[in-house]
Amino acid sequence: MFKKNSDVHALIMEQIKDVEKCLVSFEQFMRAATTADVKIETLKSLRDGVCEAENVADISLRNMIDSLANGSYLPSTREDLIKIATSCDKIANKCEHVAQLIVLYKFSFPAEFNKEFNEIFDITEKQFELLENSIDMLFSKMNALQKDPAILDEIRSLETQIDRIEQRISESIFDSDLELAAKMQFLGIVERLCDISDIIEDIADKIQIMLIARKA
Amino acid sequence: MWIFLLLSAGLFMGWSLGTNDAANAFGTAVATRVVKYRTAIIIIATMVLLGAVLLGHQSIDKLSSIATNNEVSASQEDVDAAIQAGTLGELRLKSALKAFIVFACAAITVFVMSYLKFPVSANQSITGAVIGWGLCYADYSNPEILKSNLMEILEFMSTWLINPLGAAVISFVLVFFVKKFIEKKLTSMKNYDVIVKFGYIAAGAFSAFSIGQNSSASVTAFYYDATGAGANLIFKDFGWFTAARITAIIGGVAIAVGVLTFSKRVMMTVGGEIAKISQVDGFVVIIASALTVLLMGKLMGIPVSTSQSVVGAVIGAGLVNGVKNVNFGVFKRIAIAWVSSPTAAGLLTYLVALCTKSYFGA
Repeated sequence: MFKKNSDVHALIMEQIKDVEKCLVSFEQFMRAATTADVKIETLKSLRDGVCEAENVADISLRNMIDSLANGSYLPSTREDLIKIATSCDKIANKCEHVAQLIVLYKFSFPAEFNKEFNEIFDITEKQFELLENSIDMLFSKMNALQKDPAILDEIRSLETQIDRIEQRISESIFDSDLELAAKMQFLGIVERLCDISDIIEDIADKIQIMLIARKA
Repeated sequence: MWIFLLLSAGLFMGWSLGTNDAANAFGTAVATRVVKYRTAIIIIATMVLLGAVLLGHQSIDKLSSIATNNEVSASQEDVDAAIQAGTLGELRLKSALKAFIVFACAAITVFVMSYLKFPVSANQSITGAVIGWGLCYADYSNPEILKSNLMEILEFMSTWLINPLGAAVISFVLVFFVKKFIEKKLTSMKNYDVIVKFGYIAAGAFSAFSIGQNSSASVTAFYYDATGAGANLIFKDFGWFTAARITAIIGGVAIAVGVLTFSKRVMMTVGGEIAKISQVDGFVVIIASALTVLLMGKLMGIPVSTSQSVVGAVIGAGLVNGVKNVNFGVFKRIAIAWVSSPTAAGLLTYLVALCTKSYFGA
């Protein structure tokens, strides 16, 4: 009736680590992509690294879901954990998708946007770190997170910052001398890049709902 | 033979109670998939039987005394007179027939009220029906008997207040302390899930035990031979298994069969509604309600409405977080339930008793 649950915690953290590795690979890819005169071969090689990391994250997700079948978690908890894990996997999927799109478009990023891009990477990295901590707290300090969900509020506040940057970039793109097709491609890439932050915010919301539902 | 055929009315009532009251024990846990339906019904059936075996007989004496006072069961004087006249067999048949009518009126009331979507209590309907029969046969010229009947009715009506109020107080205290204790233990989802699972299983089992104690008597008490002269059913004492115990166990078996055969639909409906409260509050409320039902059985001996105690316990739990958390509008609906089902059953039985008075005699 009461089975072991320790594997689930370890496996979900392993999956988060694998998604983080994919995010780091993607960041390396993006920093290279926004560098002037980058070779397409370099980008392809970095993209392959992102795809490989995404594949590893997929395997971790499946292992985590399989482990839930053997644990003693309640069905509602299992559903919530699967939702969180699959949402985390979407981050890796998005990274892979954007990397493939940039290579496909052979897109050259105008240098004047580098500052904004770096800001986006830094904020997303910080957001993901907070998300990782909050997921870990669900398994180790749930009551502390229930009493003080400031960490989740911070994730949301960082997402708002990224929204503002996205808005700024979008306006600048339309004010630039780029051709309309290039503008549309650029906008699409920026939009997808900022989606990662939205996904992290959505997961924070899911965690908050889980906490409210489990309040004593 | 006829007597056993008429006993089927009580057994049917027990079966019906089983299909409904199982929802109070495990409805929330099954609807939220904390406990599997199959596991739940096995636990309920076992604990209902255990409650009937160990404590079911407590209410038998009280209920059979109410039945005797209200002319449903035969009194010692009736038995003595029948023995002298050589009509004991006829007396037994009449007693069983009266019990059948009481159960039929209670069952019709429960069915009609449920159809009209009024919350009902089967236990209270049965007692209400007995009092209704008694009111038809009461000797209104004798102030002593009237006083005794009035006291009995007042005692019965007092459970409408004491039961939910007691449940509210017990629930308030339990929820207050359990919350303080459990909040510290909720350090992880794992702990939360284990506490919730264990809590619901323990609460459900305890609640089923209280149903066994509370309801087993009300479905068979009127067949119990309080006079010991074979005026009603013919169970004899077999050591620890006294006639009262055997009578309660038969009631318990009927309820358990109801739980095992037809409880899923009600369990999912009621459970789904109750599931809107927090899971920790949910199982503490069930424990508080079951504790109240057990105490009421022990102190007053009158089977009470488990629905009344659950509602009282929910209100008590809500008050822990402040008066604002309690929807006092719900009182209107509950007040109707408190009064409507026993009153309607009593009224219907009174009319049937009036129509059949020429057969059963004054």
